[in-house]
Amino acid sequence: MDSKTRQILCELQDGFKLETRPFKRIANKVGCSEEEVIEIIGRCRAEGIIRRIGAAIRPEQAGYAANALVTWDVPPEDIDEVGAAIAEMREVSHCYERECPEGWKGNLFTMIHAHSEEELREIVIKISERFKFNGFKIFKTAKELKKTSMRYFEDSRS
Amino acid sequence: MDDKDREILQMLQGRFPLESEPYKVIGDKLWMDEVSVISRVARMYESGIIRYLGPFFDSRKLGYKGCLAALQAPDDKIDAIAEVINQFPEITHNYLREGNPNVWFTVIAPSLERRDQILAEIRQKTGIDNIMIFASKKLFKVKVDLD
Repeated sequence: MDSKTRQILCELQDGFKLETRPFKRIANKVGCSEEEVIEIIGRCRAEGIIRRIGAAIRPEQAGYAANALVTWDVPPEDIDEVGAAIAEMREVSHCYERECPEGWKGNLFTMIHAHSEEELREIVIKISERFKFNGFKIFKTAKELKKTSMRYFEDSRS
Repeated sequence: MDDKDREILQMLQGRFPLESEPYKVIGDKLWMDEVSVISRVARMYESGIIRYLGPFFDSRKLGYKGCLAALQAPDDKIDAIAEVINQFPEITHNYLREGNPNVWFTVIAPSLERRDQILAEIRQKTGIDNIMIFASKKLFKVKVDLD
């Protein structure tokens, strides 16, 4: 990654300021043209360094009152199929296969969002009936203790 | 939040326009003027629906190692333990959950050594030895796409 790209990503990592031309501000700061900023960001998105550009919402503020981490114990031979299918569901925001410590049962980790406890239960039941699981566990969200975005780039000028 | 807000959120959760005037592009698609789009986004920021607007980086492509970690905190020690955990910038998410373990947090570190150093410090400062580590093996989805 060249230094200009790094500088642009550094300026971007705290998100956009709300203004009509967000890329112009970055161009002025970094000392290049707005077109160049847009092109470099587009390239990072195409390369996958930026996986998405857009908004992060707080589900609980958007009417999703019942949120839970649900861990599923999926037979290893089924995990690709089951993981991909569950990832398709709108109610599921995060879906990961994870390595687990000894004694832990549940290799597929999903975050599920529902408007109510009842809806959450229905979603979990729907998933549990659709695939073959050895079991699952529900960890309902009780309280957000911290939620921030990671800062990957050091501001070299400060 | 009304239907127009929802339409804007939908657009913001998809592909943000990489254009000189991105909110004008969004407005054109939704039959709204740019100023209304920006002021509605500002309102959703203020009300806390929108937490962040910008790029999301792929930590692995940048060479970082991520994991989910969990521990069981006694009820009367939750706040103190959360304070220890939350001080690390490498820990971006931390949630209290029902069940055992009850405290779940993510660690994004530039190396496994740094990750283990953070966990060791948490063990030492909280006195909780058993921190479970769940390294990500395969990512199927990460996208909050709610209506």
